[in-house]
Order: sequence, then structure tokens, then C-alpha cells
Amino acid sequence: MIGVSQFRGLMANRQVVRTLVERDLRVRYAGSVLGWVWTVLDPLLMALIYLVVFTVIFQARRGGHQPYFLHLVTGLFLWQWFAQNMTETSRALLSEARLVRSANLPRELWVVRVVLAKGVEFVLTLPVIAAFTIFYMITGQTKLHWTIVLLPVSLVLTFLLSVGIGMILAPVTVLVNDMARVVRIVLRLGFYATPVLYSADMAPPVLQKLLLFNPMSGILELFRSGFFKGEMNILSVSSAVVLTVVLLFVGAFVFKRLEPAVLKEI
Amino acid sequence: MAKPVIEVRNLGIEFYRSRRRRMSLREMVLKRQNSAPSETFWALRNISFDVARGEAVGLVGGNGSGKSTLLRMIAGVMLPDEGHATVRGRVAPLIELTGGFLGELTARENVYLAAGLHGLTKEQIDARFDEIVDFAGPQVQAGMDMPFRHFSSGMQVRIAFALITTLDQPVVLVDEVLAVGDRAFREKCYERMENMLSGGKTLFLVSHSEHDLRRFAERGLYLASGQLKSDGPIDEVIAQYNADADADAAS
Repeated sequence: MIGVSQFRGLMANRQVVRTLVERDLRVRYAGSVLGWVWTVLDPLLMALIYLVVFTVIFQARRGGHQPYFLHLVTGLFLWQWFAQNMTETSRALLSEARLVRSANLPRELWVVRVVLAKGVEFVLTLPVIAAFTIFYMITGQTKLHWTIVLLPVSLVLTFLLSVGIGMILAPVTVLVNDMARVVRIVLRLGFYATPVLYSADMAPPVLQKLLLFNPMSGILELFRSGFFKGEMNILSVSSAVVLTVVLLFVGAFVFKRLEPAVLKEI
Repeated sequence: MAKPVIEVRNLGIEFYRSRRRRMSLREMVLKRQNSAPSETFWALRNISFDVARGEAVGLVGGNGSGKSTLLRMIAGVMLPDEGHATVRGRVAPLIELTGGFLGELTARENVYLAAGLHGLTKEQIDARFDEIVDFAGPQVQAGMDMPFRHFSSGMQVRIAFALITTLDQPVVLVDEVLAVGDRAFREKCYERMENMLSGGKTLFLVSHSEHDLRRFAERGLYLASGQLKSDGPIDEVIAQYNADADADAAS
């Protein structure tokens, strides 16, 4: 069955995945903590900018969940992980062409490895979110909701979704020249088509229905739900789960189909 | 009878004749077609043979006859369009030797990374590390913590050869790598290959050097324009290849 044998192959080579992920992290954090600072600084600065634009300049009464800054930070951090997964997985096979050509490993591994390495980087930024949450809890502006225990689920979903889409992007980018550009544009659109800056319940009903087709919308909802009071949209979360599973299988199928052509080309 | 170590059945692989097989989205959208010619050819077709444990096979053929492609498919880094190539046991590929090495990492990190990619655990590498470095020679030993790209290309190949041959895997694939390295190192490589052979390893060798082929291989496979032309004792196969080459030159 499609997917199962690929999963087995990956598990049999988890030692190799670990080696590669460790290498990625070593290259990134070589000798300093500056690597970490960069991963944190970018979404934090963006959050600050959006805060100023929406609350000071536009003077929006309600930008999203309150406190709005926490809403932005949670959204931007998770979105950054997802967006990096997309750009990096699309280059996963090309950038490691020499390794792909010389080692007989399940080729899906090159996609999984990128998402995992970026995932570790993301998890390392969670303390920043925790610090802001604690600050807002002390000042009484928010309190934790029991759904915070579902936070790991949202991370697993992001991981699986990224692997699924990555398995489509990686081989297609090898075969189609300008795919990388398309990915960049779609990501920029996707940022606004995902409730990062706003919250889904603020959108008009028609758009809310459209958001159901964006798996990141439901995943972000799940990720955020523990930090704010208010109901979690079950429909949107279940839609995200279904889409993630579907994309994972589609990705596994596409990858298997394109693999022989990719290996000839690389 | 024991099952063959390498089993190749009806193997075929098809390539595009044009170098431009990669498509451009812009072109697909604007012209509604891919301007690259879609003509294809079979680089290899209907190839079937078995290699038993401990056998040493030499692959003979002119440029572009599909030797390297066949080796790649046995190594599992290229997938056939028809048939299959099954290998029982892991493969030590001496193909594109420095492929698994990265210029920005040190030689030491590279050894661990590349050996890890070939399935060795950290403990196994620790145990063999000294052996690898010893084999690569004293100049290499002094620079193990230097970035890999600062090594000369000959030194890079030395480390890679030392590493792959230390993996101790049952099947060894060799693609023209014996030509590299200086004379002293080449002798060392020959010696090591002979040790591997007498140690019961299965060897699959691609070479244009009759001397190397005769020295290592007992059996020969002769590929010509994607077909397996003959399969027999190495001396006969080489003789046939030479006869064909002479006939081509005469005509």
C-alpha cells in the first residue's frame, strides 16, 4: 500500500535522518546562539510592525484574539515554520543532489529531514511564546484554556502537512524549472489566506467557508486555542485533519510516481 | 543453490534524447506545450544476468554503452523503467566517490556523515575511524579537522575510497575510480580490492583498463548500445570487445 512501505523505509533509516538533522542544526548554530536569535527575531519584529499598523495607525477596535500581540506572535511563529518548510522542501532534492545521487536511501527522507530540522528550530522558539503568555497571564489579559494540551497535536499536524506537500513540491521542482518562484508567490498569498493576522470568526461567512479548505487555518486555530478564551471551531479543525491526511497520501503517491524521472534528472 | 547476490531481470531504462527534459511553467502556460523534443531512447534494455556470492564481474563496453547507468541501478540510485535489479545485502558503491562529502564540513565530520549515510552507527564508525585515516595516509591524518574543500582532489578521493572500502559491505561496485590517486596509493587500492575479493566479497567492476579487468574479474559482461552482447570468461569477453572495436575502426 502506498505510504506504508515508505513509512517503513524511513523508520529503518531513522539513524540517518538523525545524523542529517543534527548536521543541519550544527551548520545553523555553529558556535553561536545567533542562529536562534535570527529565528526568533524575524517573527517578533513582524509582530511588532503589524501591532503598530493595525492598532496605532488603523486603530482597529479588534484585530483578532486579545491580547492582539500574543495573537500575532503565536500566528507568526507557526506560520514561519510552515512557510520555511515549503521553500526548503521544494529545494530538498536539488540542493542535496550529490548526496541523493550517491546514497541508496529512501528518497522521501530528504523531505522529512528538512521539515524535522525546521521543526526543532521551531520548538526552540516556543519558550518565547511561553514568556509572552506568562507575561499576559500575570497582567490578567489572558488565561490558559484546557485546549492547551492539544498544542502538540497541532505541531504534529503541521509536520505531517508539510511532509505531504513537500513530497509534491520536491520532485516537481526538479522537473519544472520555475517552481520555486510559484512556491514563493503562493506562500505570500497563503499568508493572507490563513488567519495569521486576523481570526477566522471575524471573516464574513463566505470567506469562513473558504478558509475550511486551507488546512493551515484549522491547524492554527488548534494551536492558538489554548492561549485565548473562546470557542474552538471544531469544523475547521476536523477539516484540517482530513486535508492533512489526504495531502499526505497524495504526496506519497506523487513522490513515488515522479521518483524515477527525478533520479534521471538530478 | 544459494540465491544470487545480484539479480537483474529484463532491465530497461529510457532517457530523453534532448538535454532539456526540464519543463518551464511559463512555456507550458504560454505555448501550451513543452518545446523540448519528446523523443526518447532506451539506454539499456532487456538486460538479464545473475551474479553469485564471491564472484568478480567486469563490465566492458564503449562510451555511452550504458555501463555506468547499469551500475547506478544496481546501486539503487537510479530506478529502472522496466524489469528490476535486486541486490541481496548492502552495497558499497565506489561510484562518484566524493558525492556524499560536503566541502564546508571538516574531514572528520564528513567521515561520520558519509558512513552514517551508508548505514553505520556512531559506535561502528568510532571503531573504524583510525583504520580509515590510516589508509588515507599521513598527509590526510594531519588535516582531519580542516574543511574538506581545502584538501586536494586526490586527497579527497583517498578519504572517500578509504571510507567506502572500510564499510565492509558484501557487494562492492567500482566505476573507474582506480585511475585516481598517485602510484603508491593506487597500489594500496589494488591491494585492498584483492583483500576484499579473497574475503568473499562480490565485486562489480567497470573499467576501460584491460589490465585492471584481467587482474580482478573472472567473468565479463559486454554491453553495446544498451544490449547485453555477451557474458562469459573475462578474456573471451575482452577479445570480443577488441575485435568489435577494431572492426568499427576499420569500417
